[in-house]
Amino acid sequence: MPDGSLLVQMLIGALLGLSVYLPLAAGQLSLATPGFMTVGGYVAALLSTRVAALGGAEPLYPLPWLLLELVLAAVIALALALVVGLPVLRLRGIYLAIATIALNEILRVLLLNSSWTGGAVGIFAIPQPFGDPLGYLAALLLLLLLAGAACQVLAGHPLGRAMAAVRDDELAASCSGVDSFRVKLLAFGASAVLAALTGVLAAHFFNTWNARQGSFDASITTLAFVVFGGSRLWLGPVLGGLVLTALPELLRPVGDLRLVVFGAVILLGPLLFPQGVVTPALLQRLPLPAGWRRRLLP
Amino acid sequence: MDTLLQILVNGISVGAVYALFALGYTLVFSVLGVINFAHGALFTLGAYLTYLGVGGAVGSNGALAGWALPLALPFPVALLLAGAGCALANLLVEAIAFRPLRRRGAEPLLYLITSLGAGVVLVNLLQIAFGAEGYALPADALGDLPPVLSLAGARIRSVQLLLLLVCAVVMAVLTVWLERSRGGRALQAVSEDAVTARLLGIDSDAMVRLSFALSGLLAGLSGGLVGLSVSIAGPYFGIVYGLKGLGVLVLGGLGSVPGALLGGLVVGLAEAAVPGDLSGLKDAVAFAFLFAILLLRPQGLLGRPPISKV
Amino acid sequence: MPAVPPILPSVLRGGAVAAVVLALTAACSPAARRVSTPPLLGAAVALTGNASAIGQDQRIGLDLAAALLGPAGPGRPLPLTLAIEDAGTDEQSASQAFRTLIGRDVLAIIGPSLSQQAFAADPVADRAGVPVVGPSNTARGIPEIGPFVLRVSAPVSQVAPLSIARALRNDPALQRVAVFYAQDDAYSTSETAIFQKALTDRRLKPVSVQRHQFSDTDFQTQVTAVLPLNPQLVVISAGPVDGGNLVRQLRTLGYRGQIVAGNAMNSPNIFPICQRQCDGLLIAQAYSPALAGEANRRFVAAYRQKRGSDTPPQFTAQAYTAVQVVADALRRLDARRPVRGRPLAEVRRELNAEILAGRYDTPLGPIRFTPEGEVIQERFGVARVRMDADGRQGRFELLD
Repeated sequence: MPDGSLLVQMLIGALLGLSVYLPLAAGQLSLATPGFMTVGGYVAALLSTRVAALGGAEPLYPLPWLLLELVLAAVIALALALVVGLPVLRLRGIYLAIATIALNEILRVLLLNSSWTGGAVGIFAIPQPFGDPLGYLAALLLLLLLAGAACQVLAGHPLGRAMAAVRDDELAASCSGVDSFRVKLLAFGASAVLAALTGVLAAHFFNTWNARQGSFDASITTLAFVVFGGSRLWLGPVLGGLVLTALPELLRPVGDLRLVVFGAVILLGPLLFPQGVVTPALLQRLPLPAGWRRRLLP
Repeated sequence: MDTLLQILVNGISVGAVYALFALGYTLVFSVLGVINFAHGALFTLGAYLTYLGVGGAVGSNGALAGWALPLALPFPVALLLAGAGCALANLLVEAIAFRPLRRRGAEPLLYLITSLGAGVVLVNLLQIAFGAEGYALPADALGDLPPVLSLAGARIRSVQLLLLLVCAVVMAVLTVWLERSRGGRALQAVSEDAVTARLLGIDSDAMVRLSFALSGLLAGLSGGLVGLSVSIAGPYFGIVYGLKGLGVLVLGGLGSVPGALLGGLVVGLAEAAVPGDLSGLKDAVAFAFLFAILLLRPQGLLGRPPISKV
Repeated sequence: MPAVPPILPSVLRGGAVAAVVLALTAACSPAARRVSTPPLLGAAVALTGNASAIGQDQRIGLDLAAALLGPAGPGRPLPLTLAIEDAGTDEQSASQAFRTLIGRDVLAIIGPSLSQQAFAADPVADRAGVPVVGPSNTARGIPEIGPFVLRVSAPVSQVAPLSIARALRNDPALQRVAVFYAQDDAYSTSETAIFQKALTDRRLKPVSVQRHQFSDTDFQTQVTAVLPLNPQLVVISAGPVDGGNLVRQLRTLGYRGQIVAGNAMNSPNIFPICQRQCDGLLIAQAYSPALAGEANRRFVAAYRQKRGSDTPPQFTAQAYTAVQVVADALRRLDARRPVRGRPLAEVRRELNAEILAGRYDTPLGPIRFTPEGEVIQERFGVARVRMDADGRQGRFELLD
């Protein structure tokens, strides 16, 4: 049985998976999620450690300030996403992926070289808004439920259908009157906001924050969540994030072979489940109540 | 001017390594249109194999602790054998991580993840076998070559010059081979259009295997040479070039052989041109450059513009 | 029928699921756990990832300590066991390894390998009331994390200035100093700040400060930028591998002056990297195999028996020391009032106080702690690296 804090990390993984999924649902392979998460984390870390008026002597960091951080992180991430998205989303496929990786790297090096971000040491002693992992669990679960619900609404919404149309064939979608650039920008913005919100909670949970959170490895790992879980339904990246985050921990009894087995799972996942683990076909087969199935399938 | 020449020399020597790395990506990309993320791990494997080939013993922390080949080969022979070993290993990667997906016509995204998995497995197996410590190839591996060459005041280590030469030769051979030889043209035909190529009687499976073998060979050779230049910094040695290599690949133009070289040199020069006091920003400069080029010329320096079909 | 599926019921249902999950987790939390028999100590070091070269050295020290100090013996009736977990190279893995150990009811934790990881993982143990002994965390601010956080690794501020002083003693006239450091590593950036302050205190302004990444291997650009400035002393804060490469390339490209290397390069792991060119490096040591004293003699003998070498790395010695400190304190505690079967939280708290109060004769020499948990170590040395003629083997020669 995974303990509370492993569940917290799994939920963080699931949220990051969703953040990569959103642009992908509009056909855009963006790997900027760890970058936006880093931004969100720094908003939380800087506000809660540098602004003395916040928290101060209280044993637990006040929740209203946490909310303020979340709002601020969302606004900053959205603004950044719009500024960056305008030029970047003109790129396609792997070029977009590389451009977003380049942005992550630029961000990482700039943060590393700024004194107000604590340089390589980063920011530590970030105050805790919750006394134990259960508080984080509840907050992240709420965020995941909201994000999942939003994805669910999206599936039946014209915007969601426009995203699917852009994913399947951008040119055809444009021809039939879809403003494909706007659709892509919205998806990119939503992805950024979700990543930044996750970053705020993650920074508090991890006690410390530094620029390495946004590394290339993190980009690839979050992509693996989506590919492993499946990119057709929002449940896919959630499952991928949960499973792939938990796996290295659950494999601890294997000892030195831990990461070898982990690599083998990443390798075999797409071979055995080319559409990801969660597919429309799987949901058809599962003994779900008919109402659930109807709602989950696009 | 001294410093300008030194910057040029630095940029070219560092860029050559990036280019060698990106060339390996390019070979596979040009045929399959996907990136083999296991390339960095093969690069590391090549370095370790070269080390064993010249008679190096495994350190005390690996499962193979103390083990060494009963013979010590001259460096060039060991390097070639390491290249051959990596070619075989890459064929294995192809068989496990790529072929099953290709049979099904899976999305390109899946290859990224399966090859990443293959790379993770390989790197961690290397750590179990060799331990995490660094290794260095013997300093006299190049025989009587002086360790440093001086060019009108600019200094370069001779092994870096060697890397640059190998890079240029590999690129020239590859270009000529791709353009002129039967096999090379067949490879290009497959990359243009696999279906038509099959109708023309080209065995596309064989061509894919050929590209993987060549790419593996390249990974092995460059791993061994870079290992000689800067020592083998542990099992994650090759992985750290993965990101820059990817940048260089895209900068030069996906699938373009001369593009990989040009991209490597451009990134190398951009990094070398960063003044010493700002050396902390070196990596950001390289990627900012990449970013700018992507926005101005999305297909990369020497890539062909994508065709949008109506 | 609405176009949008009714969302509120799903959210409510999700909330119910969440409540069940929360209840389940709460049910598993420790109510009144007791000390196991034999008592368990935990260690979490980097066995995978970029820092595994450090963790690998530490594991040897942990294994030696477990074999030497674990079983009951003359004068120590209480047997101890040690559980080792992989803390990876990132913060998340370290925190999770700590939690895994805490969940296994360890009395104290030794780890993690990197200072960065300590900032994330130590508060986890501190909040759980589990003593943490850092074996290699040398950055500023570690003992200040909390009352349960201690370290046996002397902070960079104590160790680093010694080697600068030594270099100046060798060449009192030196004026031109170049500084190199790994900018993405907490230890290196902390140490270089100390180095640079030590230089400024002696009115030496660096002629150049060059930054690199921990995972870099090629330093052509940095080295050729510095050499035309004719430095007489080069000061490096970096890991064993990047630092070793930097030394090698400095020498190959023609630098002849003195080199002061930071504490992380106090490891035989640099020998295979810079080979003959390691010769002459000046390194301030928090541990020297040559140190006199019974504890160190025993440790070196055990190391020789297991590894066939007389020069245990500093990381190995510090990891061994960390276990020894915890084991000694626990046995003292147990002698006063047996710990077995007593409530875990109480014993952890008493153990923390006991560790802080004690004096220890260790391979690092005699050590004790400040009330904050900072180590007070009496013996530091500055060593000069001496390589054999073939460049394969080397040793750290302790200077007076």
